Amino acid sequence: MQPLANITPLKPAGAIEVRNVGQIFKSKEQDVTALQDVSLDIKPGRFVVLVGPSGCGKSTLLMMMAGLREQTSGTITISGAPIPKPDPNRVGVVFQEASLFPWLTAEDNVEFPLALRGIPKSERRAKAQDALKLVGLDGFGKRHPHELSGGMKQRVSIARGLVQDPPVLLMDEPFAALDEQTRMTMGDELLRIWAATGKTVVFVTHSLTEAVYLADEVIVMSPRPGRIVDHLQVTLPRPRTYEMLSGDAFGTLRDRIWRHIRKSA
Amino acid sequence: MSAATLRRLIVVGLIALWEILPRAGVIPTLFLPSLSSTLIAGWNDAGEYGHALAVTLYEVAISMAFACGGGILLGAVVGSLPRPRILIMPMVSSLYAVPLVILYPVFTVWLGIGSESKIAFASIYGFLPTMLATAAGIQTIDPQLLLAARSMGATLSQRLIRVIIPAAIPTVLSGLRVGGALVIVGVVVSEMLISSAGIGYLISRYRTILDSPHVFAGVLLVLAMAIAFNAAIKWIERKAAIWQTGSRAGQRAADEITAGAIQPAT
Repeated sequence: MQPLANITPLKPAGAIEVRNVGQIFKSKEQDVTALQDVSLDIKPGRFVVLVGPSGCGKSTLLMMMAGLREQTSGTITISGAPIPKPDPNRVGVVFQEASLFPWLTAEDNVEFPLALRGIPKSERRAKAQDALKLVGLDGFGKRHPHELSGGMKQRVSIARGLVQDPPVLLMDEPFAALDEQTRMTMGDELLRIWAATGKTVVFVTHSLTEAVYLADEVIVMSPRPGRIVDHLQVTLPRPRTYEMLSGDAFGTLRDRIWRHIRKSA
Repeated sequence: MSAATLRRLIVVGLIALWEILPRAGVIPTLFLPSLSSTLIAGWNDAGEYGHALAVTLYEVAISMAFACGGGILLGAVVGSLPRPRILIMPMVSSLYAVPLVILYPVFTVWLGIGSESKIAFASIYGFLPTMLATAAGIQTIDPQLLLAARSMGATLSQRLIRVIIPAAIPTVLSGLRVGGALVIVGVVVSEMLISSAGIGYLISRYRTILDSPHVFAGVLLVLAMAIAFNAAIKWIERKAAIWQTGSRAGQRAADEITAGAIQPAT
């Protein structure tokens, strides 16, 4: 385990605090401001979706929350402590492409972060089995990624993100490469997993429908420099159903996001 | 009839023709001695061929170690570091186009006509494709995999051992297949040109005295060596890179799902 114990948590596990974060990409021709003065408070257990046109820095912001990239200015804390480098005990990450290791079976992929920490085989296997069961892949552990469909691969990816039981799950357009039907099913599956585990989820997407369907809160961002232009509370009841997609409340929220994006695109 | 059966029949047919055509007098035995006379010639001088084979195998083994070891090592450096890549890659690529065999006479001047010159020549000959393939294999590793590993807290050495090496294995193996074949070519060709031992030397010597059955016995041995090498690489590929040969299995999984045989995954 990571030495989390000697850091006194200022916030409960799963809280995310982003304070005046900026990111400038330096290049030979000119410096590009990818993010400017972004501040954000995410309470534990919330499902928050980041939307915005390409180049608004939503993925960059997510990578910073994961400790995979350093911000130029400002601070980010996860569960009350800064995140200078990746810490799978606090944050699990799911990427757009399933990014599974093709030479490992599904269960070995899920065990990968545990193996990095030298956790004994039997304990690893048990945790991986639990995680695979949670994402609905019980019995598929022995398959290699090429023997799984796109949706199944993303399930394995989610299992891998959850296997260390981190309070926060970050998802970078996880369903973008999937076909429409699979995408809808995976959305429902994700909501089920989220409800069962109570994780804080930050989810980046291009799809407005997906954003409103999944989220408690939607953060809308504008491109260059990336800034937060709106922060919507989605008050639709849960569980979300397919019928809500055609309802007025849903349409109003979607339109509001679309107006922001059309303005900046 | 399956393609594999047909393939075997063609091989059997060719072998049969090899025996029949020279015997029937369709082809002069000087050009193509019958299979049986070739085998008999080889059998009668088994001691000589055995000694030559030992010399050739020794040279091939040492050259293979140099070519593969050096190729993988330098390929890994060039593939992972941009600066050496810019320096070395253009040189190596142009060198690859040069018929290196022109250097062999120079090697015999430097190293003599013994095994050393063959090993030097064949090592360089096989080194280039191995190195190029290794460099390509490392360069083309999906950066998403490395990012994912980093997000799970993998250190640099863990990324090397658990991600970069396994991900590069298939490309490196395909480089070894080409590089290893070139090592065999390099050894045999250099033995045929200037030498005093080895199968290439035997083939060349019997050719000058127009002893076709003995020439073909040598050719058969080289053939056997190449086939054995190819089989060995295939075996390693199967062991090390099962995950590459997978599209059919993926299709099967998709079929099972659409057929509803497997619940509930999407």
